[in-house]
Amino acid sequence: MFSLRLPIPLEKTLITSLPKTSTTYSAYSGMTRFQVCHRYLSNSITKRGTSVVAFQDEVDGEIFVDAFQDEADGEIFVDEDFLEVDPLPVELQPELMPKHVAVIMDGNGRWAKMKGLPTSAGHVAGTQSFKWIVKLCYSWGIKVLTVFAFSMDNWIRPKVETEFLLNLFERSILSQVEECKRKGIQISVIGDTSKLPKSLKSMIANAEETTKENPKFQLILAVSYSGKYDVVQACKSVAKKVQDGLLHLEEINENIIEKELETNCTEFPYPDLLIRTSGELRVSNFLLWQLAYTEFFFNKKLWPDFGKDEFVEALSSFQNRQRRYGGRH
Amino acid sequence: MIGYLGLQLLWYFMQIIVSVWYHISIVGNMFESYFISYEVLNKYKSLHIGKLRYLAVVIESEEAHQTSKVIKLLQWLDSVGVKNVCLYDMNGVLKKSKDTIFQIMKNAKSIEEVNEDVTHHAPDHMTLEFVSYVDGKEAVAKAANLIFVENFKRHDIGGELDHQILLESHLNQALQIVGCKGPEPDLLLVYGPVRSHLGFPPWRIRYTEIVHMGSLNFMRYGSLIKAIYNFTKVRHNYGT
Repeated sequence: MFSLRLPIPLEKTLITSLPKTSTTYSAYSGMTRFQVCHRYLSNSITKRGTSVVAFQDEVDGEIFVDAFQDEADGEIFVDEDFLEVDPLPVELQPELMPKHVAVIMDGNGRWAKMKGLPTSAGHVAGTQSFKWIVKLCYSWGIKVLTVFAFSMDNWIRPKVETEFLLNLFERSILSQVEECKRKGIQISVIGDTSKLPKSLKSMIANAEETTKENPKFQLILAVSYSGKYDVVQACKSVAKKVQDGLLHLEEINENIIEKELETNCTEFPYPDLLIRTSGELRVSNFLLWQLAYTEFFFNKKLWPDFGKDEFVEALSSFQNRQRRYGGRH
Repeated sequence: MIGYLGLQLLWYFMQIIVSVWYHISIVGNMFESYFISYEVLNKYKSLHIGKLRYLAVVIESEEAHQTSKVIKLLQWLDSVGVKNVCLYDMNGVLKKSKDTIFQIMKNAKSIEEVNEDVTHHAPDHMTLEFVSYVDGKEAVAKAANLIFVENFKRHDIGGELDHQILLESHLNQALQIVGCKGPEPDLLLVYGPVRSHLGFPPWRIRYTEIVHMGSLNFMRYGSLIKAIYNFTKVRHNYGT
């Protein structure tokens, strides 16, 4: 439902008709500088506060955001990398952003069926939504995004579909590895990779190795994953440690098991927010152990139709509940 | 200046429209709930309860102290034909109210008293299970420990120590032994301010439908019926 924080002052929108000021920057000659929006999060440009500056071309009126102003000394600069970054919407509070968002990307097949397309087309469309959500999470200061790319339960699907999916997954990651490295996006994969094709296993290993340094954001892909499998493999790891004399049987408790879960590849293993699309109201064997205190947001849109507006609604709903009920359990 | 004021007026006008729409939708939901309660809406008159073999109700621990409301909820469920119910709250408040609940729900039995698989028993009485946080992750740790102890005993008396032999089925069995007998619920209703299952045993919610019902203080019969009705219409793919 809506986050009811009305009325929203007009000043909090990005664009207002302020008196025109000329800029001394040649790159922006003939442009009007708009009000600075202080809502942009940028942990990586500078440790000091950073604001977004919007410019409007005086000839054709086109408005764009591609500059940043250091709040300490007022210097305006452009960082090429952040030309692609999306500014935080005004209705979201940067201090209330979830650290870890998990997504069950459901509905590709139904989307394709509705449009009279083959299922594969739905999966291809779904990858666009996936790239979009990665960009938004990265832009808005979310530290970890975990997506349920392929469930262990999906192996019962027709071989043609599973092979297509895994191939699509391999091509998507391969094409993005270098850019992820450049942008500080760490790729991690969780799940039972024993059933995956060799080329995919090798690509995963390479992607994880290539992107592990200096991460600003972590993308966790759950492939051939099941929540019960995760708990079982954690228990097996614990048993191995007992066998090796690293642990005593009396020491085993839930905390010991938690440390062996696959999501311990991240600093924030427990999702704050879980989004599932397509109107289904269940977690389908995803992150069972980790979802104890996660807020659920179920959206009726099919995954290829899930975009920025829907994501903002989910985050807004999350933040609204956070404001009312204080800290987490 | 006039343009700026005009823009402000337009902006506030749009927000008023959104606010009115929002309140209309809340009132609409309320009326729908009453219509369902008074059997005005035909589609909710007959529920195909057979699909709902096991229902879990998660209640936020502070609200779980309202035993009378919990009993009222159970009576509604009984009247609708839902006979197998698991009651959960994180801190075990409902476990403490168990005796009071059984005094009033005279046709209800505890799951420990029922020997057969509860999802198959004849619906002449309610079966109630009371669960809290310790029956979730802690129970899994105990079950795993049980398996390790058995495994190491076999090793000590000359058997093979195979930590790889731990499978889901072994954990299932071990959980039964440590006292977690309840099956996976088909539907889980959450009463409380947050849309979270608050630590309900994770091993049991693989394919469970989760519906947030709002605060227990504002529970409505119509909303309960609607949630159950919507569940009966759901199609599960189970990964296909």
